[in-house]
Amino acid sequence: MGCKAAAGDTRAGCWPMQAGNVILGAMQHRTGRATRSRATMRERLVHRALLLGALLVTATGITAQESVKVGVIVPLSGPWARAGEVMRIGAEMAAEHINAAGGIEALGGAPLELVVYDTGDSVERAKNAAQRMVAEEPDLVGITGAYLSSFTLAVSEVTERAELPMVTLSYSDLITGRGFNYIFQTSPTGVRQAEDAMPLLVELAERSSGTLPERLGIVMDSTAASVAFVKPIQEGETLDTLGLDLVVDETFTPPLANATPLIQRVRAMRPDLLLLLPTAISDSKLLLEKMNEFGLGQGRLPTVSNGAAMGDPDLAANMDHALLEGVMTTVANWAVAGQDEIVAEYIERSGEPWITQNPLCTYGHVWILKEALEQAGAADRNAVAAAIRSMDMTDGPARLFPGGRIRFDEFGRRIDAELLVVQWQDGVPKTVFPPQAAVAELIWPSR
Amino acid sequence: MSRTGRHWPWIAAFALAYGALALFVDNEYYQLIMTVVLVWAVMGLAWNLLSGYSGLISFGHAAFFGLGAYFVALIQLTWGISPWYGIPLAALLGGVAGLVVGVPTFRLRGHYFALAMLAYPLALLYVFEWLGYQEVAVPMVRDAPAAYMQFDDGRVYVLIGLGFVVAAMLITRLVERSRFGMCLLAIKQDETAAEAAGIDTLAWKLRAIVLSGAMAAAIGGFYAVVQLVVTPLSVFGVLVSAQALIVAMFGGVGTVWGPVIGAVTLVPLSAWLDAEFAERLPGIQGVIYGVAIVGVVMLAPEGLFWKVRDVVRRRRTASARTESAAATVPAAAARADGFRVADVRTGRTVLTVNGLTKAFGGLRAVDDVSLEVRQGEIVGIIGPNGAGKTTLFNLLNGFIAPDAGEVLLDGRSILGKAPNRICRGGVGRTFQIVKPFRRMSIADNVVIGAYVHAGSDDDARALATAAIAAVGLGDAAESVAGSVSNEQLRLMELARALASKPSILLLDEIFAGLAGSEVERLMQVIRGLAALGITIVIIEHTMQAMVQLVDRFIVLDHGAVLAAGPPEAVTRDPAVIEAYLGRKWLEDA
Repeated sequence: MGCKAAAGDTRAGCWPMQAGNVILGAMQHRTGRATRSRATMRERLVHRALLLGALLVTATGITAQESVKVGVIVPLSGPWARAGEVMRIGAEMAAEHINAAGGIEALGGAPLELVVYDTGDSVERAKNAAQRMVAEEPDLVGITGAYLSSFTLAVSEVTERAELPMVTLSYSDLITGRGFNYIFQTSPTGVRQAEDAMPLLVELAERSSGTLPERLGIVMDSTAASVAFVKPIQEGETLDTLGLDLVVDETFTPPLANATPLIQRVRAMRPDLLLLLPTAISDSKLLLEKMNEFGLGQGRLPTVSNGAAMGDPDLAANMDHALLEGVMTTVANWAVAGQDEIVAEYIERSGEPWITQNPLCTYGHVWILKEALEQAGAADRNAVAAAIRSMDMTDGPARLFPGGRIRFDEFGRRIDAELLVVQWQDGVPKTVFPPQAAVAELIWPSR
Repeated sequence: MSRTGRHWPWIAAFALAYGALALFVDNEYYQLIMTVVLVWAVMGLAWNLLSGYSGLISFGHAAFFGLGAYFVALIQLTWGISPWYGIPLAALLGGVAGLVVGVPTFRLRGHYFALAMLAYPLALLYVFEWLGYQEVAVPMVRDAPAAYMQFDDGRVYVLIGLGFVVAAMLITRLVERSRFGMCLLAIKQDETAAEAAGIDTLAWKLRAIVLSGAMAAAIGGFYAVVQLVVTPLSVFGVLVSAQALIVAMFGGVGTVWGPVIGAVTLVPLSAWLDAEFAERLPGIQGVIYGVAIVGVVMLAPEGLFWKVRDVVRRRRTASARTESAAATVPAAAARADGFRVADVRTGRTVLTVNGLTKAFGGLRAVDDVSLEVRQGEIVGIIGPNGAGKTTLFNLLNGFIAPDAGEVLLDGRSILGKAPNRICRGGVGRTFQIVKPFRRMSIADNVVIGAYVHAGSDDDARALATAAIAAVGLGDAAESVAGSVSNEQLRLMELARALASKPSILLLDEIFAGLAGSEVERLMQVIRGLAALGITIVIIEHTMQAMVQLVDRFIVLDHGAVLAAGPPEAVTRDPAVIEAYLGRKWLEDA
């Protein structure tokens, strides 16, 4: 052994050994005193303090070499289990990559350890799981999750009180609108997506087809995500500014039984651009099939959705690829140029045909927590939170997020968050905008 | 439910034990689960108050729960009103919602009621989505958190939740042991009989749903405070209604303790399964949970509470059997005089029927019937099967409305009045097929009838005891109605009708299925009642016994009055003989 328990020897590599000897020494000492039965109360107290000090030394000595815990809280059971499962895969990939590259340098190469919690299928369960996570894992330094914005809301109520930083991909403005200090949102918020999407689409249309769209159609379901996206468009000045006329504005309550009246209306009013916002796969399928039947599908009417649902592999598995061809969606994150290795590894591990927003963001979030740990230099949740607040990065994990820069405003919203446009081409949703991120050329449908 | 057992010491013991346990729990997760247990216990109690006691199964209690939750969250968000005020206001809102839901929905019965109730939370779910309340977060108050029911220490929530549980249990207990609970139980077992016994079933059901809705809305408000995030699915979802129903069914329906037992068992079980299996076998927790519930429901279909009580009681009765034989049943004094209507037969007309007609489609079940019944008479209404006798009774006591004609009781029209009003007016009735409240004792069955004219619950009990004594059923008073003989049931129904102090009794085939000696005894009882001046109308399709009993016959055939008069005359009437036996016998006669 290279380490003798010499007093004053504080070489990091020897901490546990040394600590152990201190304990042993203290105990022997104490036993010896006791047999002599002359120990005063004061002396005993001193010895107790010695023993306690030794234990403390042991504890800090161990953390220096032990792993740093990061939480992943996602739905692993219930209707959103698959989404949670691929997010977990994304997080695991990130942890492995980080550890393979030497762990957290600032903490002596400490490896990251993921602890995974299931939000289940309801807000109540999500909150229970978060509370359990916080109680069972007191040395967590940060977490990522929780897929649905309502779950994220519930989970962050717990993490805020536990002063535990949470990085999320959920869109809802409410998440970062409550004055919380420990929540960080890497996606553009719902309102911002709505505000950004329309000018972006109009620009794309003009750039690709040479003409400005004038007539807008909206067909949407009544879920939180769709409503949050459309409301600012309907109520704000976006349409006036862009000179768009809202000619179709239809909302349905899922599940959709019959898409005919909706699509008939679309055909009758002949919009130049259609916002199609279903959430359930069955509804997407019905709507796209009906559009195809009415001669509006396969790129004849420029059709744009919002969110990752319209790029989900399940969609391709459940319907004819031809019907999806040309359909676009605006998303907070997708595979962009230069991520081939991550994408290939993910495809192999998950068995999914391509990587989507959720696992990709989660992968990035673990990296953000890693960088925060490096900056903080301590496995301490408050230090990590402070590091995220002051973070301003344009390389490393920043390349995993559209906009290419990671810094957060006082609400915890990522300042540079941008939307990507993804388009179905040859049965695969590919990033087509912005040009520097694109993996394929945008095909703007023309009639 | 034991009527005599004292519950409050047990409730206090439970609250103290639970509260003490909470104080020793440091883990915030356990504190949260302990709070959630109490939320579902109260929700179960709220459901139980309506559905457990009245038997009207509600699949829609999420409607009240969700309204309370959204109300508390939204008024704090919009106007900054603290949940300390919000929750009591939510209770008021829940009560009003109960009334709004109850008035139209109580027109339905059984499965139809259950299905209609299912619609309310589903509709509200979409309404709140439409209003744009997909996600509402209760704002975090950093300045004066306690004023907004926000505490760093999770134990405070457990204690507040405990307050709700104790309040809900005490309310339930108060309802259960009062006239309120008895009436709900009667409705549960036979709504028709309850109505005929003078219970205003609609009024009691409305009171129950108002109270139940208020409880559910209050705890929904507390739930919002605990969860801090309210979404339509989390408070109006089918699972919310189901959870209320499951904890109550599991623990025991129609008892103070059932929902509490259910919540204390199932909520932690579900949480434990989530914690234990969710990572390794996601989804398996739901399967195990489901199997556990199915298992318990199969082994103890009425819930754990009743199963345990039955086992305990069986053991106790086994040891107490010898004693009970020696114990003397206090002989109820024959206070039949309390039911006396008149000392002498005045001959005054009590009931007048003019041109009463009722058709079911093309069938004229009652066709232009006119008759008069004088005070103190025993009138037999006879006729072959299908002559319209029971329909006539149902018209007389208000179960069905006639197409034409009038019915006067003591000169006042009773047409269009609810059966319970007619009962209050002095018309008692029994049924062709006995309608006992099977899970109640004979005494409790009769008490239900006695509520009509009793000022207090004690008066009702005294009246019931007298009625039971008057029909000679004193020995069987404490037997459960489901376990006694047909004769005793007939007497019980008679006593139940008598307890409402009727001036006229309608007895529908009261001799059906009785042996000769039993018929004899029952006739003695009826004669005794007539001697008190009570007017009696009996339906019967056999004439034998009736000939000895009645003063006068009215013969119905094909819904119309065929003949009327003293027994000797009627039995010789050729038309009657023909109606009963056919033309051939007429020639022989």
